[in-house]
Amino acid sequence: MTTATTAPPPYRSTVPESRRAGFGGLLRAEWTKLWSVRRWTLALPTAILLTIVVALLSAAGGSAVKAGGGGGGGGGGGGKRPPGTVHPFNDGGGFVHQPLAGDGTVTARVTAQRASHPEAKAGLMIRRDGRRGAPYAVIAVTPGRGVRLRSGVGTDLGGGSGPVPRWLRLTRSGTSVTGYASSDGAAWRRVGTVEVAGLSGAAQAGPYVGSPSAIKVERRFGGESTSEVPTEGSATFDRVDVAPAGGARPAPWVRRDRETGADAPLDPADSPRAGAPFTLAGSGDVGPDEFARDITETALAGVLIGLMAVVALAVLSVTSEYRRGMIRTTFAATPARGRVLAAKALVLGAAAFAAGLAAAAGALLISFPVMRGKGLAPPPVTEWPVLRAVLGTALLLALIAVLSVGVAVILRHAAASITVLLLVLLVPQIVATGLPLSAATWLERLSPAAGFAMQQTVPRYDTALGPWAGLGVLAAYTAAVLAAALWLLRRRDA
Amino acid sequence: MRHVLHGEWTKLRTLPSTGWLLLALAVSTVLVGAATTGAVDTSHCPAPAGCLEDTTRLSLTGVRLGQAAAVVFAVLAIGGEYGTGMIQITLAAVPHRPRVLLAKAAVVAAGVLAAGTLGVLGSLAAGRALLPGNGFTAANGYPPPSLADGPTLRAAAGTVLYLVLVALLALGVGAVLRDTAASVTVVLTLLYVFPVITRFVTDPDWHERLDRIAPMTAGLAIQTTIRGAGPPIGPWTGLGVLAAYAAAALLAGGCVLAARDAN
Repeated sequence: MTTATTAPPPYRSTVPESRRAGFGGLLRAEWTKLWSVRRWTLALPTAILLTIVVALLSAAGGSAVKAGGGGGGGGGGGGKRPPGTVHPFNDGGGFVHQPLAGDGTVTARVTAQRASHPEAKAGLMIRRDGRRGAPYAVIAVTPGRGVRLRSGVGTDLGGGSGPVPRWLRLTRSGTSVTGYASSDGAAWRRVGTVEVAGLSGAAQAGPYVGSPSAIKVERRFGGESTSEVPTEGSATFDRVDVAPAGGARPAPWVRRDRETGADAPLDPADSPRAGAPFTLAGSGDVGPDEFARDITETALAGVLIGLMAVVALAVLSVTSEYRRGMIRTTFAATPARGRVLAAKALVLGAAAFAAGLAAAAGALLISFPVMRGKGLAPPPVTEWPVLRAVLGTALLLALIAVLSVGVAVILRHAAASITVLLLVLLVPQIVATGLPLSAATWLERLSPAAGFAMQQTVPRYDTALGPWAGLGVLAAYTAAVLAAALWLLRRRDA
Repeated sequence: MRHVLHGEWTKLRTLPSTGWLLLALAVSTVLVGAATTGAVDTSHCPAPAGCLEDTTRLSLTGVRLGQAAAVVFAVLAIGGEYGTGMIQITLAAVPHRPRVLLAKAAVVAAGVLAAGTLGVLGSLAAGRALLPGNGFTAANGYPPPSLADGPTLRAAAGTVLYLVLVALLALGVGAVLRDTAASVTVVLTLLYVFPVITRFVTDPDWHERLDRIAPMTAGLAIQTTIRGAGPPIGPWTGLGVLAAYAAAALLAGGCVLAARDAN
């Protein structure tokens, strides 16, 4: 403020410290300035409404047949989910089995495996029944990642590496399944124990072979597209033995059809027999479907329109004070400029948070039933990843509002601030579509647009960064801009 | 009319923002175009010739950013007058209001034309320098973009025209809304939000419909030099869509300017 020695001393408010309002009063003042402009009070509800309309339009424009991008695993967009999870689920691979009515053990030796994919699986599975997404546990050797014990969507335990031939064993005790691996069939190493919810009563057990889809990246016509290419795994077993506890009579082997989940009897001559080698082929994988479309993220795309309103509102709340000279009154009333900035950021952040929450919740609650009517299977809105996306959208808009306040304080010009903000938030996403995937991924990680990662609910093969990490990138930008704004605000004449 | 043009030219020329914005238009177009071109190579092509990369369109990617400067430039040309009250003097001097808007349109178009031409030529030059190093050589079926080539000439001239039309659209919106901030928000939303939302639309029919009515996507169809690349709309039809937006905005702006009190 006092750069030149000839300048008069800066104006100081004559209101005594004790009579000035505290931070609460400051918040109230900023709130009043915001809500007494009728144009602005209309901006946020309009933004909420537009967001919901866009979500509704995109839901009405989608269809189950066209959305299904799934190949090998058969789990395309809107695939069936196991109960109680938002994750689209793959349930492929080859499985032949015998009933395992209660507790028991299944053992086999994998003698050879075709390296069709680094995570191709050859091993043993226990599952409740043949239906898609039924509770399961798998222990398998993989060409690239050693022995894995997998269950549900998230459980994936490592059991050391080692070449085939390799002995594998699953022991079921109630709902818990323990996996073992061994190189000689005598000294067993425990891989881990998984709780398989829903594995009560009768179950099926036997050899399992799976092979996830490979990702093929192809550049054509100025854009890069990825597709999943099914791979076919194959493995040879011997000494396959399903041993129910207490010893039951041997049952015939059946093969599960991975499309229908129905069982077909296996020719006894081709069935696993003690001592004889048995070859099983399978395509597809069991576990989370990394190629599935993120339905929640799609339904929240309309928030971009809300974003425009939030940016404009936050910028104008600062620049119009400069334009009308109101800022001098504001600073006369509260000479502590940092507190004014904090109050402004807080009020706008809170308003944007509330609007984002309403817009995101409204968009999902209205578009999901429409999607269900069209045969898609949107996830239940009460699941945490979906709730996180709704909450994340609100946090995203709040951060963007604070960022906008900071940029506006630095630039003090409405058109310039809005242009800069919209460019850094939107252009990375537009330019990224023409870039190679590796460059696009880095652009998504490093630009403020990384905050949009918060709207993801399903980890995909092309996910650039996690939801909270993305929000963290945006928060870092916001903090840096706010610090610069504070420094300039204290230094510059109003 | 000559004097009106001269007056508008003087008002625009003497604004400090004019030079900066036109410079930003040209420079950002070249820089973003060069950065994008430098990031793309033939490593993911089925075969170097099988990529069907539209090298002209790739080199001209920068206008997607550069157009923002044209928008601000055009909006300030009219919004600035409302902000300062200058508009009252302007209209007192030239009572025929549509003529004022026409003169403004001509002056803004001329400025964007000059800066846009520089940006487009610079982008093509950068493309010529960068493309061969990334595998897009003549031997692989990618001759360097040259203005002697019909489609490339059409793409280059059309891109300049695209920038002019975007500026006219912004001028029209600015005349309707009379507020710099609101106009910039509306025009940039119109340009940028369409393509980002389209990314999330999976239904191919809706995807095509949106691509055909989005001013930016349809307008940039003029850059397509390879059959099958680019948006699902013909080059001149696509530019026509943008021209329709610009004409509608200017018409609305003219009507509002003629009908309302200039305060």
